Amino acid sequence: MKRRTKVLLSLTLIIAIYVFVYFSELYMDPFIKRILNTGLIYAILGVSLNLINGFTGQFSLGHAGFMAIGAYASALLYMSPETKMSNFFMIPLISPLDRIQIPFFWAIIIGGLMAAGAGFIVGAPCLRVRGDYLAIVTYGFSEIIRSLFNNLQNITNGPLGLKGLPTYTNLWWTVSWTIITVIVIKRIVDSSYGRALKAIRDDEIAAENLGINLFKHKVLAFVVGSFFAGIAGGLLGSLLMTIDPNSFSILFTYQIIMIILLGGLGNITGSVVVGIGFAFLMEWLRFVEMPMNIFGIEIPGILGMRMLIFSILLMVTILFFRQGIFGKVEFSWEGVAKLFQKKKVKE
Amino acid sequence: MTPQSAEATKTIKSVEKQTVLKMEHVTKRFGGLVAVSDFNLDLKEGELIGLIGPNGAGKTTIFNLITHVIPITEGKMEFYGKDIANLTTDRIIRLGVARTFQNIRLFSNMTVRENILTAFHAHLKSGLFTAVAFLPKYKNEEEYFQQKTLELMKEVGIEHLADNISSSLPYGLQRKLEIARALATNPKLLLLDEPAAGMNPDETLELNQLILRIRDKYKLTVIVIEHDMKVIMNICERIVVLDHGVTIAQGTPIEIQQNPLVIKAYLGAGDEDA
Repeated sequence: MKRRTKVLLSLTLIIAIYVFVYFSELYMDPFIKRILNTGLIYAILGVSLNLINGFTGQFSLGHAGFMAIGAYASALLYMSPETKMSNFFMIPLISPLDRIQIPFFWAIIIGGLMAAGAGFIVGAPCLRVRGDYLAIVTYGFSEIIRSLFNNLQNITNGPLGLKGLPTYTNLWWTVSWTIITVIVIKRIVDSSYGRALKAIRDDEIAAENLGINLFKHKVLAFVVGSFFAGIAGGLLGSLLMTIDPNSFSILFTYQIIMIILLGGLGNITGSVVVGIGFAFLMEWLRFVEMPMNIFGIEIPGILGMRMLIFSILLMVTILFFRQGIFGKVEFSWEGVAKLFQKKKVKE
Repeated sequence: MTPQSAEATKTIKSVEKQTVLKMEHVTKRFGGLVAVSDFNLDLKEGELIGLIGPNGAGKTTIFNLITHVIPITEGKMEFYGKDIANLTTDRIIRLGVARTFQNIRLFSNMTVRENILTAFHAHLKSGLFTAVAFLPKYKNEEEYFQQKTLELMKEVGIEHLADNISSSLPYGLQRKLEIARALATNPKLLLLDEPAAGMNPDETLELNQLILRIRDKYKLTVIVIEHDMKVIMNICERIVVLDHGVTIAQGTPIEIQQNPLVIKAYLGAGDEDA
């Protein structure tokens, strides 16, 4: 298939998605809309973590930390001075921040850039270690961020968190950012840079012996990945209308890791589909946390039962579908064309 | 003196052959173990030399030292007059050294084509943004890489397997792919670590011709580590013999074959009194 045809098809698909978004914003049930928004944010997180964990093979557990940075940085920029005043009743917010209010779009971008900056600062020393050690160091970073945000009362309002954030996040924002994330990361992965990243994943020594600067490329993956994590954080903050440091704990990172493992490491389609599916499944599975009566045995509602189901799902995936649900199958226009051709032959 | 004139006098001084790699008193110690001791090498442009010795003699260690996979303990190492003893691996490779590995190290999840394309990345001039936006500059570079990859695959005879996953190739072809990948980094010095290992006699013969052909075509200087004497004795102009990290002999294939020290290292020293 020609490149031009593929670009045209992709553009048509994007327009179709936006038409869907237009009607959804008008007629969709607000509850479903909210889940869909969350799902798209999961998709952004999944795809961005996939660049680090799946394509470059650097096992990072710091994604929630980058997300927290993005969420707080953008929230402090798009909140109105009045809301900030009512939030910071214990210790007032430091000087320039309490008067600033900038448009949502720019606040999100700055949040992403702050997260990317943190990705660079953390990545530079961390990426000298490999494998399990890297996982431990990045986990440590995300805990440091959490504890820092718990204690920086005059910037983050400490454990009280920020409340009453204006709801700017809607499908227009989440869909657009998901599309941007997918396109940017897909283009990186398909370019010469992507080949270098995959080479590092497959065999670091061989990659280095082809003149690839390991450190530079690992940091690159880290910075791009954490930028989109920051963006996702900013979007999530405005969707939930409240953020506090403890919501960005290691459990959140585990959820994202579960998404990329279920979707397949190094599979962008998988991350998007599983990300959205994950949000819906999380809502649907709420019934297991309700008090139940099975065969006359009274079971009280246990919080966190949903995660048990996900854990089982994850174990099954790892045991039987090592490559994830989607394996190596990526969405491509050639694949779609093949599907149609097969159908025609059958008819 | 301007850099150009300095360059000019240099070329006049060494009209015949320029020194590619110069190693002086290179020593590598792992704690108390001396892996390589006082190794000297003066490699001229276009030479094809063999590095032989019994197992554990330190042959691969020398390759690892040249490409700085492990740092040298003592000594001097120059590549085209530039001190490379303290440069990182990727920089040495970008200067023009390429190597293959004793235990093949291909990117096993990638196709043959992608394996070779990856090797061009070190010479990519476009930045990340140019590549992501698919601007003309990157497009041209990518097209050039694709075309060069095809040439290299034809050179070693694997173009019909371009889209196969590299780990699905038979052993001999994997070795050839590794050579093609090494050539893609545009080297001046090629280090081949046991290229004939696991090949049958026909393939070995073909490999000999391949090595000679690529040396002339790409104007390479080559160092070969090999146990297969059909390779070493037929194509190498000069041979260096190592034993327990010590250089025990140097010379032409015929000299080496008659050298008593070499025979002793390979066969042991039982028969001297008999």
